Amino acid sequence: MQRLIVAALLSAASASCLAQWETSGQLRAQWDEARAADAGPLAVANSIAPGMAPVSSGGATLQSELHASRPGFNAVLTLQSKHAQGAATHSAAWFNELVLSHDAGAWQFALGRKVVAWDVGYGFRPNDTVQQEERRSFASSTPKGRPLLMVEHFDADTAWSLVWVNPTAARAQQGAQEPALAARVYRRDGALDWHGFARLGAHTGAGIGAALAWVATDALELHGSWRYQRRLDTRGMAATDALLRGNPWQAATVDNAQQLLVGGTWTNASQLSILAEAWWDGAALSDAQWRDWGLRNQRLAALQGKGPPGSAIAGNLAWQADAFGAASNLRRGNLFLRLSWQNGAWQPALDMLYTPADGGRLLTASLLWQGDRVSVQGGVRAAAGPHGAVLRQLPNQLQQYVNATWAF
Amino acid sequence: MSSDNLQVDTQISVFNSDGSADKERLYRVFAQTGHQSLVLMQSPAEKGQKVLMLGDDFWLLMPGSQRPMRITPMQKLLGDASTGDIATMAWAEDYSGTLVGEERCGEATAAAAATPCLHLSLSAARKGVTYQRIELWLGKTRHEPIKADLYVQSDKLAKQARFVMDKPHAPTMVNEMVLLDKLSNHKETRVRYLGRKERVVPQTWLNPMFLAKNPALE
Repeated sequence: MQRLIVAALLSAASASCLAQWETSGQLRAQWDEARAADAGPLAVANSIAPGMAPVSSGGATLQSELHASRPGFNAVLTLQSKHAQGAATHSAAWFNELVLSHDAGAWQFALGRKVVAWDVGYGFRPNDTVQQEERRSFASSTPKGRPLLMVEHFDADTAWSLVWVNPTAARAQQGAQEPALAARVYRRDGALDWHGFARLGAHTGAGIGAALAWVATDALELHGSWRYQRRLDTRGMAATDALLRGNPWQAATVDNAQQLLVGGTWTNASQLSILAEAWWDGAALSDAQWRDWGLRNQRLAALQGKGPPGSAIAGNLAWQADAFGAASNLRRGNLFLRLSWQNGAWQPALDMLYTPADGGRLLTASLLWQGDRVSVQGGVRAAAGPHGAVLRQLPNQLQQYVNATWAF
Repeated sequence: MSSDNLQVDTQISVFNSDGSADKERLYRVFAQTGHQSLVLMQSPAEKGQKVLMLGDDFWLLMPGSQRPMRITPMQKLLGDASTGDIATMAWAEDYSGTLVGEERCGEATAAAAATPCLHLSLSAARKGVTYQRIELWLGKTRHEPIKADLYVQSDKLAKQARFVMDKPHAPTMVNEMVLLDKLSNHKETRVRYLGRKERVVPQTWLNPMFLAKNPALE
């Protein structure tokens, strides 16, 4: 792997000497800090057995992203060195994209690791069935593409794509790592963009979806997306009050799952923009599952001092945090509101994710300054709402970051 | 040169109201027949960003996202020079004009009087144009553009433009357009045309979903 990375670096460095190559990149330094929650299963686990479930408290990251492309080839390489507070420095390198392509006019072919992003939403994309990119991430970063084979056809108003994603992965792989065939048909019809989707997963079976984006007025855009899948990956556990020897949260599927999003953006002449979206995610844990989860947290915590070893109680509580990663959304019903403004080089933004089922809120504020080559960005994110809300149980309740990026 | 099927490299320099440099951007524009334009951002700060304009319909691709997004006409008014300022190579197809009269225009100096000009009033002939109304002054003798007042939908004066021609005494094309913001920040934006050539791009490049492809577009 190291040899491969060195070869790629040398290739990128010498690329500028070759007329057909196009190279660019960026160097980013970031500092982030996270405050551990004083409630929730991990907080209780650590109070019973300190250090049982370490929670990230932030650190410093230096990252370089190198782009090199020429007709028929594209590579994006990330080199990262990360120093977490109270831990050793960790360095890593990976290709975000490494893809060979062939341009045959209307027909296009691609083979390799590539980012293929579909669907029309911002806060949630049910039909992003290839990349399955994490949405609403705190500090944005370039996603790591998926291994795939892709055939596409384009004419003036229509495009269709057929993708074989993760072709060499095991059938049992979960979520975005699952081998699957995915297809998209796009049609432009004046102010309307139509999208149709289909996916055949190795163990999740067949699914279909549709999406549209409509520019209703000069200032207003409306969009919607719906997906049905025979099965969707999630995690689950059988309800029990007992102390267990192994993690009860195991891979599971939701049958006949549906996901739906509706939303719109409004922008005025002063570049003030409002985005509002509402979505339903049938793959997320149900209200009953979260109720059982909360009850188990309480009952495990109540075992303290009643005989069972503290480490066993803490371990069982730590496993409860697996529920946070069961699906791309914590709750099935979600509302999202974002207010942003572009004023010259400055771009302030405020957003809120609201989960009506329990009143939880996730509030984010960010500010970007963009210069010719340098940009500086900072942000803060905090959870709010009733103490019983799932968002209030997350391991980190307050996060902040600042980064500076130099583009070359 | 005809405005149909062009490849134009454009440099945008923005200056603050006190004259200090604010920012500089480079764009490659493929302006095609039928109000179709593809804009590729070339500066390090925006590398990989693309805007496609097909008549009154617009799409944006942000670097790293690989997902073309449908945007509204308001969202294309980004930056001190809007995408419309960069991508529109001629007003003749987008506006209908009437002659207001003959006037003196340009700056009078101690050595010379202001230039005799023709004053034209241009009204938007279609929905998706950046400016709803343009008051344009042309040189009376050679019909070269001298200056213009640009009005947005609300009929507010958004920008004032003046034009720098390639050869002052025998002008054939605009080398530079200087835009003064009159709505908010009073910044000056200089749009320099670094190179122009006739170029017909493949039809596939004008499909919105093709924005996500990553061909080395020369």
